[in-house]
Amino acid sequence: MEFVAQQIMNALSFGAEYALLALGLAIVFSIMGLVNFAHGEIIAVGGYTMVAMAALSLNNPLIVVGAAILAAAIGAVTLERVAFRPVRYADPTTGLLTAFGVSIVLQNLFLLLVSPRPIAVTSLYFLEWPIPFVGLRISSLQLFETITTIIVIVVMMLFLKRTVLGLAMRAAALDFEMVRLTGIKANRVFAAAFLISGLLAGIACVFIMARRGSVDPHLGFDPVLMAFVACVVGGFGSLPGAVIGGFLLGAIEVAMLVLLPQSLGGMTEAFVFGSIALLLIWRPDGILTPPREKGDKQ
Amino acid sequence: MTLSRSQKRGLVGASLLALVLILIGTIATYFGSKYQLRIVYGSYVSLMVVLALQVFMGNARITNLSHSAFMGIGAYAAAICVTPIAMKKISLPSAPWGLNAFALDPVTSGVIAIAITAIIALLIGLILVRLSGIGATIVSLAVLVIVHSLFLYRTDIFKGNQAFFGIPQVFTLTSAIIIAVIMVYVVRGFKESRWGIALRASADDEISAAAMGVNVHRLRLLAWVLSCVLLAVAGIAYSYYLGTISARPFYFNHVFLTLAMLILGGMRTVTGAVLGTFIISFGLEWVRWLETGPTILGQKFPEVLGLSGVVLGSVIVLIMALRPGGIMGDREIEDFILKNTE
Repeated sequence: MEFVAQQIMNALSFGAEYALLALGLAIVFSIMGLVNFAHGEIIAVGGYTMVAMAALSLNNPLIVVGAAILAAAIGAVTLERVAFRPVRYADPTTGLLTAFGVSIVLQNLFLLLVSPRPIAVTSLYFLEWPIPFVGLRISSLQLFETITTIIVIVVMMLFLKRTVLGLAMRAAALDFEMVRLTGIKANRVFAAAFLISGLLAGIACVFIMARRGSVDPHLGFDPVLMAFVACVVGGFGSLPGAVIGGFLLGAIEVAMLVLLPQSLGGMTEAFVFGSIALLLIWRPDGILTPPREKGDKQ
Repeated sequence: MTLSRSQKRGLVGASLLALVLILIGTIATYFGSKYQLRIVYGSYVSLMVVLALQVFMGNARITNLSHSAFMGIGAYAAAICVTPIAMKKISLPSAPWGLNAFALDPVTSGVIAIAITAIIALLIGLILVRLSGIGATIVSLAVLVIVHSLFLYRTDIFKGNQAFFGIPQVFTLTSAIIIAVIMVYVVRGFKESRWGIALRASADDEISAAAMGVNVHRLRLLAWVLSCVLLAVAGIAYSYYLGTISARPFYFNHVFLTLAMLILGGMRTVTGAVLGTFIISFGLEWVRWLETGPTILGQKFPEVLGLSGVVLGSVIVLIMALRPGGIMGDREIEDFILKNTE
């Protein structure tokens, strides 16, 4: 019983992390068709901000967390201004390759300006302690992560449904030209999308850092790879799809970790990616969209 | 067999490129130091990879991220076949299925490696060609991750991140030049063949092409398998020259590097593939020299590790922002000397 509960908790917290990142990818993709591979470097920006905070001996956890999230958000908005504006209306492949380029540049800048080696960040250890819960012990970090993700999703839903900018963003995903015709500034919509994706990456960064305890130039690569896959599973650009995909991926990963025999331990990633590939054959546009012939009316 | 006008032009273009390749190779062979020869060889292997990539990405216009994996499959398959038994007893003491109890000559090994890669490519291709756009890219990414995990996991066969050594070094720069020249003709030939034209049409407008009777999936599969076969050749050339391989060079870094070469030159043309490869190969070598902190005109420069990555990434970003079609766009080399009468 305890084992099962623990694994469910694991799946939820993995899924929460992927869902946070996948949402950030999906909101950008839905509006500008950009597969933002540089999302992982935004996480690393947050991580390095924590290092900087420690160097400035600012150890108040609220300041550290706040600064990391703020830095990630600023980083994302800056990337939009500097790198992604020229490819705003280009096809997805151009955007994808640009994002790859940005990701390589940032990773190597971290390597060049900071250090190729991991740097320990100890200011977030306080987030982790065991909580007794009806006879079980669960990790506080996992609980925080799941709850935070749920809150974030609710807040985002309210923002998208109840505010003018949120409405504009949802409309932009369907028909950007129309949104511009109604007098909403395109720049503002793009900036908002990147701001939100940066905030989400910053929040995810806090949990990733609390779990890993160190930051290196490649910090964000693996989580974003998984988030990317989560997006595809849910249907790229669909926000509910990103959340469902994220949690599903978390569940698949934990299931693989639990069910695969010890001797196949190194193959978890391969099995996860393999099952995703199979899923895509069944539903090429993600699990929420039924397969459709090219050229069918929407 | 009569050739169409574009095919004749293609023949001229491929011959011009072949001339350039032979020229660079000959200069390197006669004047290059041993170290420079290695770099030039490396760039010819990259050229093979980029040409192979062009077959699929340039004609079907689907971004492929799994090419390094297929290069790895070819390299490992050939290496396992060709390495002498005595060597394999040391390097692969616990290999299953009697893999360390036989050795073949380099040619047979190469043919077997190409066949194995082609079969794997065909099986994966059957799935991949049904998707298009981002979905296909993701599946190719999944293929890369899966193959890499296999390389790392089956250390008894592939030795993972450790070096697989003892492969006979049967290739010289001359062999690489010959293979690259043949490949230029094959790749350009495919581009101008009726399959290539139909495939490019389907990339422009999948629905219209299908309505005109183009079997998009089958053509994509053809280009995919051809691309993977050429990648296997590149992998074989890589292992036959270096004599040691490991799983690390067949992963993300290599994927991005070769992708950058292709998009810099322009993925739609064979000329672009060649141009991009040489610019990045030789340019990067120069940047790496800067990276080590050289002394220029008596001025000592500091060591800047990671500079090559920054430059590579910036090249991709700038090209995408300024010239999404790459340097060449839609122009092939012969367009500069032959009259353009469309």
